[in-house]
Amino acid sequence: MIHRDFHALFFRSVDRIALVAAAFSLIGFVNAQDEPAAPERIDLSNFPGEFVDQVVVPIPAEIFAVLDKLDEPEWSKGVEIPENPGDKGERAILALTFGSLVGEGFIAVQAENAEDIEEIGKKVLALSQALGLADAVQPHSLAIIEASGKRDWESVRDELDSTQQTVRDTMDKLRDQELSELVSLGGWLRGTNVVTAFIRESFREDKAELLNQPGLLIHFREMLGKMKDPSKETSQIRAISTGLARMEAIITGDEVISEEDIRELNEISRAMLEEYYFISEESRKDSGN
Amino acid sequence: MTLPHHPVFLPRTWLAVAVALGLIPFAEKAFAFVNEAISYAFEAATPYVEQGFEVREDTWSGEVEPGKPLLVRHQLFRGNEYWFWAGTSWPGASVKVDIFDSEGNSVGLESFVKGNFAGVRALPEKTATYFIRVITEYDPEKAKKDAVNDPVEGVGEYEGMVDWGLVYGYR
Repeated sequence: MIHRDFHALFFRSVDRIALVAAAFSLIGFVNAQDEPAAPERIDLSNFPGEFVDQVVVPIPAEIFAVLDKLDEPEWSKGVEIPENPGDKGERAILALTFGSLVGEGFIAVQAENAEDIEEIGKKVLALSQALGLADAVQPHSLAIIEASGKRDWESVRDELDSTQQTVRDTMDKLRDQELSELVSLGGWLRGTNVVTAFIRESFREDKAELLNQPGLLIHFREMLGKMKDPSKETSQIRAISTGLARMEAIITGDEVISEEDIRELNEISRAMLEEYYFISEESRKDSGN
Repeated sequence: MTLPHHPVFLPRTWLAVAVALGLIPFAEKAFAFVNEAISYAFEAATPYVEQGFEVREDTWSGEVEPGKPLLVRHQLFRGNEYWFWAGTSWPGASVKVDIFDSEGNSVGLESFVKGNFAGVRALPEKTATYFIRVITEYDPEKAKKDAVNDPVEGVGEYEGMVDWGLVYGYR
């Protein structure tokens, strides 16, 4: 039986003390006890064990780390905090928005913009109240704001990951597994949108390769397909399902991702985010802003 | 960089206290709640945090029959370096972890096994889905020794399954 861990419910401060002590003792034996080599090859089509069905979705910071090695993106241009995230009702939409807002936080950390991070921290807390998870999120939100004030970007990054994980763990405990998965999808979507925007500005095949994530697209599409929540029938969730299918047609895993593919992926991900997170240009014009 | 949170009190410590207080039914629930295998995996990650690895909060875990290999699919990005750390808390159990690409070729650059945890390092040659193999073993003789070192009645009775946990970090 596969189950989620609950380590996030315990104390961090005591860990640090234990970490330092353990670090010195571990380094010694790690070097001393190399294991016999793994088999050079295994047959994945006839694997004599069990495939674990739990999927861990990479956080945007993992992809940003590579992009930083390949280029010098102007991260501040990527931050785009929506005015009223999560004012569109349904809990499923709130969960998606929460994930995207945490994704926004990861972009703001790359930009090292304390003001933006503080604003995102406050919006994350407000959104968690709408989700009924404020008690769980408040300590993280305060830690994000405090660490950004100290310009301690690593801690901000850690806290953003913790925030998302705490919310997902809490949702899992409340048997809201579907909402928990939507949080991950929201973060992934915001990260994908900003990464494609930067790659679009100065295309290179090695940067485009970062989008080679067919397994995650299949996971998200299947997850939305299996959703039992009535929100599955909302126009937003249906539009997101369609967007994922369009992305899947581009990211096959077999072909090199072209400049045109990146443009399309950027536009598709933007349109998906405009379903629940950003205000579209069209809506903006309609409302006269 | 800090490690994600993990239990300060190990479940068996909880259980010892609970036994003394006559709270076993509640203690059993506590045991199920705390994931000690993940704690061991995070313990294995400790030295690498000092080397700049960002250790993720999200993890994999469960229970498995010893000797039965598990395969975890995961997306890796070329340009990052990864360590995967596995742990098991069951008395007498050990764990090993390897990594393979989508063709089934081993891509682990180095690995280690020590007691209740193990690790493997990879530098992906391409951005793709990779497969992390976790295998646990159970040694009844070692279990007896562990029981002598950590005796709490009613805990650690082997029923054919052991716990496992897997975490990862990147830089």
